Amino acid sequence: MNETMNNDIIRHASAMAGKASFIADDFAQALFPKTDVHFNDRMRSNARQYLRATIGQIEQRICQIATQELGVTHETLVKIGQGGGGQSFRLLENSGLLKTVEIVQHLFIKAQQGELAARLLQKISQQDLEATLTRHLDHADPAVAEAAMGLLVAQSKATGAVGEISASLADLPAEIAFALAWPVTAALARLSDLPGSQLQQATERLLASHDESASVARKSDRLAQLLEQADMTEDRIPHPMRDGLSLFIARLARQSGLTSDQIIGFTAEPNMVRFVVAMRAANFPTQEALSVFAALDGDDHILTAATYGEADQDRSAALVSSWAAPSAYQNAERILADDSLSDRAK
Amino acid sequence: MTAAGKLAEPVRGQVNADGILLSADPRLMRLHLRSGGAEGGPLAVPELAELCRLSRRLGMNLSRPAQASDDECRIDMWVETRFASPEKGERLSLEIIDWKERPHEEPRQMDPARARDFDRLEGRGVIRTDAALRIIAQQMPGDADQASDAIGQSLLDIYDVIPPSGHARLLEAVAERQPIRNQRVQEKFGSQHLYVLQGQPLIDKVGIFAGYRFAATPDIPETSDNDNKPVATKLISDSLFGFQLGPALRQPLGKIIANAETISSKLEGPLRGDYASYAKDIASAGRHLLELVNDLSDLEAIERPEFTVAADDIDLVDLAHRAAGLLAVKASDHQIRIDLPKEGEKLPARGEFRRSLQIIVNLIGNAIRYSPDGSVIKLRVSTDQEFARISVTDQGDGIAVEDQDRIFEKFERLGRSGDGGSGLGLFISRRLAGAMGGSLTVTSSAGKGSTFTLALPERE
Repeated sequence: MNETMNNDIIRHASAMAGKASFIADDFAQALFPKTDVHFNDRMRSNARQYLRATIGQIEQRICQIATQELGVTHETLVKIGQGGGGQSFRLLENSGLLKTVEIVQHLFIKAQQGELAARLLQKISQQDLEATLTRHLDHADPAVAEAAMGLLVAQSKATGAVGEISASLADLPAEIAFALAWPVTAALARLSDLPGSQLQQATERLLASHDESASVARKSDRLAQLLEQADMTEDRIPHPMRDGLSLFIARLARQSGLTSDQIIGFTAEPNMVRFVVAMRAANFPTQEALSVFAALDGDDHILTAATYGEADQDRSAALVSSWAAPSAYQNAERILADDSLSDRAK
Repeated sequence: MTAAGKLAEPVRGQVNADGILLSADPRLMRLHLRSGGAEGGPLAVPELAELCRLSRRLGMNLSRPAQASDDECRIDMWVETRFASPEKGERLSLEIIDWKERPHEEPRQMDPARARDFDRLEGRGVIRTDAALRIIAQQMPGDADQASDAIGQSLLDIYDVIPPSGHARLLEAVAERQPIRNQRVQEKFGSQHLYVLQGQPLIDKVGIFAGYRFAATPDIPETSDNDNKPVATKLISDSLFGFQLGPALRQPLGKIIANAETISSKLEGPLRGDYASYAKDIASAGRHLLELVNDLSDLEAIERPEFTVAADDIDLVDLAHRAAGLLAVKASDHQIRIDLPKEGEKLPARGEFRRSLQIIVNLIGNAIRYSPDGSVIKLRVSTDQEFARISVTDQGDGIAVEDQDRIFEKFERLGRSGDGGSGLGLFISRRLAGAMGGSLTVTSSAGKGSTFTLALPERE
């Protein structure tokens, strides 16, 4: 065993000792999950790769602004700005700074969206899926046609390899870009030993120049809004194989009063029950609902006409409406409904 | 209001770090002012102000859908916030690139004649005045026709205001165009009946105060003198509904229904998600309770030995049209068509206007409740043997022969539940028909629909 290897073992052993107290936490989470949602290895791997790539893009952009626009001349930052390998992720991953509910929820949604895209591609070819939006390009309303073109362009920029989630700074919602950019800035300040003010200025410029209107999600939301206003009677019911995944989700979200993230989240739940209820509430005809379910299902489950028909439309609408309430209200309601809490108050 | 959809040019505005609206294109300024804002004041459109705050907190440009509402319409927008430069404290530009206005769902403006029919069905009278409280129209409970002698006279010349309120308080409310609640009045002349008035100020199309529409409910004075109360039979419903629970329940139920309908029709502004459907459920449950209260009050009334009905000159064809008008919304909710006798046809009969209308409304209401969606309900009139008859035929499941007498029994539902019925309607209707010297019968067979026929003495 040479001296270098010896040093590595010592370093790893020290690191392991520092983390040992968290082993029980990790195992407990795996043993006692609080939800019925199953996270497969591909989702975990995709989410991690996506987070690493996104943080890499953010730190590269911050370093570019700092070195090219603000005249910072630090070797590490120049190297990162030139794409020479990011270092922030390593520093941040074990710090807990990336474990905020906002960030983790976003990762879950992106991972599940990747799952849905993969499932859809088992039923329709990538080429046919990409062609779905072209049908709106010659829409009678020029605003719809323009929005469809915008979505087509955004999607073409964002499409990654099949089965992977494309990580693109331009696709981040503003709140997530903000939530990730500042920890990255702090990590860069620590890595470079530079006073934070110049890096902060670079981050402020990065955030100010971020244009969320260019993201696939916003382009889909906008097209969904315009299509609803256009009041198309023969194309009222969205379908992932006719609209593409992101537009389908945006349209269903708009029709049900929920957010796109909620709709995607529902598809991860066992038997997609809340997704089915959302379709029932939006008054999807039975055959359309069964077809949408089959297109997005990944576990060979079958939704039958009888099961769908049994879900009362009024009750479904009432349920969906309650899910559309602000999440802070829903959380508070859940906590207050906790029996043990009620008992304590007595 | 413009019904304009997408804009060639965006609507623009600028907001400073304190949220003050520095400048705005006319449309945005109009929305800001209608939302309670002032020139030079903070941006008052809630969703836009929230977007500006978020944009400023993040220091980022946003691009999101938003919804706003003013008195006239709901506006769907696509809003982009833009910083002129990344400097903090910089003014924020708003660009609204889609601006789609949709008129609010019209608060179902009721045809005045239909509103009068509802009032008469509920046993309420109606007084319509001009801005100077002069009576323009008046129809009091029990009167088959409009009273013409009161027209043109001041409300205060015909009625005395009963304490605890006084003339001054009533006039003050009128001067301020305020709704008038629970105002007790007494006729100065004639029978000197007591009434409780509920008045709504009327505003014409150009926004000018045009008078009041009062609903007048007969007021039964609270007295310890038991001689005024029926004593012949001590029914439970006498004490429960006639004098206490009925009036006490109607008022809060009326408020619940009115407020729930206001919420469900989004008259006060946009509502998140489908909360409107909750309000609709509340209104519907309230109406159901009110119907039950009315049924129980009627039950109490018809079981009193001194119960009598007026002998008005009525026209069954006219009543059929009025009853169908009252239930038009309910029928259209179920895509049911009501096939009526030709307008202009006449079938004179003798019976109390309000009670006859009540029976026909009950028959059509039942037909709607138990008919399949998309079916037809037929109303036909005929005469024979000194009776004028009106029949209501539905395409429902029909009633088995052995059940045809039972359905006229009190609280008989034939095992049905959850459809909003109380099991009292047909019992009350048959008793009312009998009290008017007529009858109510049914012919039906299972699976082939039912025909209910009301027969009333023919008028010469």
